[in-house]
Amino acid sequence: MKHGHLVIVDGIRTPFCRLGTDLRDADAVELGRVAVSALLTRTGVDPASIDEVLFGCVGQPAEAANLARIIALRAGIPDSVPAITVQRNCASGLEALTLAADKLAAGQGESFIVGGVESMSRLPLQFRPAAADKFARLHRAKSLLQKLRAALSFRPADFRPLPALQLGLRDPVSGLNMGQTAELLAREFHISRDEQDDWALQSHQRAVAAQARLQEEIAPVYLRNGKITVIERDNGPRAAQSAKALAALPTVFDTQHGSVTAGNSSQLTDGAVALLVMSERRAEALGRPPLGRLLGYAHVGCDPKRMGLGPVHAMLRAAEITGLTAARADIIEINEAFAAQVLAVLRRAAQSDCARVLGALRSDNINVSGGAIALGHPLGATGARLVLTALRELHHRNGRRALVSLCVGGGQGSAAWLEILP
Amino acid sequence: MIAHLTQFSRAESAAARLPVLASGTLEVNVRREWLADGVVVLTFDRPRSPANIFDRATLCELKLHLEWLMQQPCLRGVVLATAKPGIFIAGADLHLLSRASADELHGFVELGQSVFNLLADFPAPTVAALHGAALGGGLEVALACDYRVASDAATTRLALPETKLGIVPAWGGCTRLPKLIGLPKALEMILKGDPVFPKQALRLGLVDAIAPREHLLAEARRCIAAGKPLPREPVHLNHRLVAAGLAWWTQRRLRKSARGLYPALPAAVQLVTRNLRLARDRALAAEHQTVLSLTKTDASRNLLRLALLRDRAKKGAPAPPIRRAIVVGAGVMGAGIAHWLAAHRVSVVLRDVASARVAAGLDKARGLFEKSARRGDCTALEARDGMDRLSPATTDTPLDNVDLVIEAVVEQLPAKQELLRRLSAASGPGTVFATNTSALSITALAEATHCPERVVGLHFFNPVHRMPLVEVVRGRATSDATVARAAQFARDLGKIPVLARDHPGFLVNRILMPYLLEAAWLWDAGADPKVVDEAMLDFGMPMGPLRLIDEVGVDVSLHVLNTLAGAFGERLAAPPALQRLAAAGDLGHKSGRGVYVYRDDVAVPNPIVDARKRDEAARPMSSAQMQTRMALLMINEAARCVEEGVARDADDVDLAMVLGTGFAPFRGGPLRLLDAWGARHVVNELIGLTQTHPRFAPCALLQQLSASGATIHNERETPDEHDH
Repeated sequence: MKHGHLVIVDGIRTPFCRLGTDLRDADAVELGRVAVSALLTRTGVDPASIDEVLFGCVGQPAEAANLARIIALRAGIPDSVPAITVQRNCASGLEALTLAADKLAAGQGESFIVGGVESMSRLPLQFRPAAADKFARLHRAKSLLQKLRAALSFRPADFRPLPALQLGLRDPVSGLNMGQTAELLAREFHISRDEQDDWALQSHQRAVAAQARLQEEIAPVYLRNGKITVIERDNGPRAAQSAKALAALPTVFDTQHGSVTAGNSSQLTDGAVALLVMSERRAEALGRPPLGRLLGYAHVGCDPKRMGLGPVHAMLRAAEITGLTAARADIIEINEAFAAQVLAVLRRAAQSDCARVLGALRSDNINVSGGAIALGHPLGATGARLVLTALRELHHRNGRRALVSLCVGGGQGSAAWLEILP
Repeated sequence: MIAHLTQFSRAESAAARLPVLASGTLEVNVRREWLADGVVVLTFDRPRSPANIFDRATLCELKLHLEWLMQQPCLRGVVLATAKPGIFIAGADLHLLSRASADELHGFVELGQSVFNLLADFPAPTVAALHGAALGGGLEVALACDYRVASDAATTRLALPETKLGIVPAWGGCTRLPKLIGLPKALEMILKGDPVFPKQALRLGLVDAIAPREHLLAEARRCIAAGKPLPREPVHLNHRLVAAGLAWWTQRRLRKSARGLYPALPAAVQLVTRNLRLARDRALAAEHQTVLSLTKTDASRNLLRLALLRDRAKKGAPAPPIRRAIVVGAGVMGAGIAHWLAAHRVSVVLRDVASARVAAGLDKARGLFEKSARRGDCTALEARDGMDRLSPATTDTPLDNVDLVIEAVVEQLPAKQELLRRLSAASGPGTVFATNTSALSITALAEATHCPERVVGLHFFNPVHRMPLVEVVRGRATSDATVARAAQFARDLGKIPVLARDHPGFLVNRILMPYLLEAAWLWDAGADPKVVDEAMLDFGMPMGPLRLIDEVGVDVSLHVLNTLAGAFGERLAAPPALQRLAAAGDLGHKSGRGVYVYRDDVAVPNPIVDARKRDEAARPMSSAQMQTRMALLMINEAARCVEEGVARDADDVDLAMVLGTGFAPFRGGPLRLLDAWGARHVVNELIGLTQTHPRFAPCALLQQLSASGATIHNERETPDEHDH
């Protein structure tokens, strides 16, 4: 490779806050702007030296087409620097990073700001297509009679909105929503409700224990709606979470026999992450130690009904590419879309065909700072958050390598190997 | 310009009047272009200058063009336009106004009136295509046209600012404006002198259409196609009774607000209301007569001089721009500075020790941006972009790409030194370190760093968005390049920089302090604070001194005083009353009690000083005596600033005091007042007062001037000769 590996110089994120809570008044543009602006302030990098801005987002706001461009300009990146928004569902934030690596390898720039953002609070409610047709007809109507006729064609059902959030969480190919794919894995891998709840509880406990470390990742959001207030902390992790409370929650996706609850699924959350990444040459010229580098990665496809197993497929492919077995990772991040799905990944990886390639996954290495069940899963941001959290954690425990992975709605998996610079 | 004037009086012929350059080509101010459809565009384009102005040469060229065009049978219409990017015509030549003799002025006013009459009587339709600033004569020429169309550019603004210079519009402005937009609005425009922006101008009827600059000519053609307009005076607004009532009411209001100190204002009211009923020639003659008598007043001379001083301060050596800055300290000053920088396209990191303080600072900036957007000073998008340029921080951030650090932290030397030491150690070779201290020594602060040559004082005044002055303070080691860069930065921010040497209090606070203290002494000695304040309002100050102490804060005033007291000794002794206020926690307006006690909307004197236990030694004093005492102390201190070389010259002191404190502008500044009163008189008065207290002792320079009979200002009337 001409420019060597992609180096992650530094990174920062906003607090992750549950849908409809502290950050509900900041839209995706504002969250992304805060993260990029804080990254620029913190690194002191000259915005004009950035070659491109790449941002992941799943539900791009209608009022902000090519969200990345708007975030870049509003964060003070000069208008001569291009920007692209990428969408690979839950791996969008990681896709931004790996696309930057591709661009570096292809000689399309040496210095990038990458990241991801999601404002799940601000995902819109939509009119149904039939209602939209009627609005169009009303708009086109010229004579009073036409207008009246068009107006009278509306039915109460036309005013029942479609939440974009629900639409986005349903896979139109398999017809299953994400929770149902988790139920499927729970059935097929015999994962009990208790096991799921235990994992969820552990996620909260670990996130609470790691709070001081996680805080280092965070740049506060100064909310500009009305009098300016500061949001400085994640509000997902619950210090008082008990197993009993988790056990009491109803199942959501299969009310009869199901085991997946709101408590053992990832939280719906608002947040943004921004990373400054460069060629090794540029990073060296900065003269300060970077967070780490990207050794290799894989995005792979799999059965949409079993999208939760995506991380296994991606890890296998990544092992082929990098020659690294999972045992060589000091820490592993498997995004916690659902506790059932993470447990299914672990069981599948332990099966002999996979274990031969991957080696044994040690659960004490996995999601050591908690995962999306506690911290939340702002879809477009999570991939970049895992990279940031894993690299910081490696520094903290003097580790060397990390493997981060995500399952991806629609049947994909993503994995990336990261390394602290020797 | 003066060359133009004398040349004109020598020879009236057109060819002789146009000055010839060395190369032999003609100097042309107005270009004529005959378009295919019979429309002629006269484009104002003053050579080698960013602005168009009306001097004799330009007026004469315009006259020749109009006279010639009048003979052309196939002419369909005339459009007046500008070639400059941001200025239509900036008005009459100020230097000419300030230097011309009475005869020259007489001729100049008459020339303008006659040229504009030609335009008004022009047989074909005439249109002014206004792009950029149309000020004074620049708007009056447009008023003489049949139509006005304005570009929608941000630079386009229309104003008659003459009363701000102590005169009145005299090229038909006072006569034609009310005929167009009605007396009430016309009077407001003339008395305030504030700019009107295109949308507002369209609502007022001041312009007939707004279009992008590229379409102005097309819009003008549309007007021409419509032919000569019918008279459209809003007769109901200009009715006799309305005029009489408005004149009475306005005069009454002016007596209160301007206190009879600005003769141009009542003169303008009288002129504008009376001219409504006069035939044009008699109305213009009245304008002529009024402006000539006003130019003879001291007020006009002083205001004009200040305008020229402002112009002088706006020019300086170019320096690399400041694009990124860090403001440390998010208090009132820090937040105010950060807002102003962000509003002027500087990327700003606003830093303080805790996020709550940063949030408070950002909130202040947000309030200011929202207010600007509400007032129409900027759009909502611009306000949002301004807020986007403010990045919060609570820790040290890299300075690699930071051009300027401004510290506005608590006024304590060790804290500021420590901060600058730490930041300068981490900075690159180009970062300038500025301090917003109002009293601490720049040199002492600079010594804490390894780069004292890059440390400079940049003293903004509160509230930052309103106060035009910035004191640029040079420490002992500050380099010329740093001073030049700081001064140019202030200009880029739309502020007026005044250079000061590093001496306690710099210029403004130093001269203001003895004045405030004197007011406090008078109060302490039993004078009614309201009488003291009222005396200085009559003098022409924007706020009474005791009220000002309350607004600044008794504690802040005493703090500044303490930092100055070491250098100035007994000259700055604080009266016991102030100490008692501080001890009682009566810290001014912010705590509801200070020199005054504030209850609801009324302020009553604080009973902490017992008016009945009047100091027996203090003779009852007239308002005039109080005024004199307080003014003398300012004059004395201002002269010291010149004597000690704190200011570059007396002009700078005057400009700084007017811009920094609102010192009665019509008096031209404290040192201008010195020259008006005469050094001998001032020194005699001071010596007389020295018997009561040594603080009145006149400084050496005053005594010297008194002995020699010289003035402190150069006798030259205008500060500097500049071509525009």
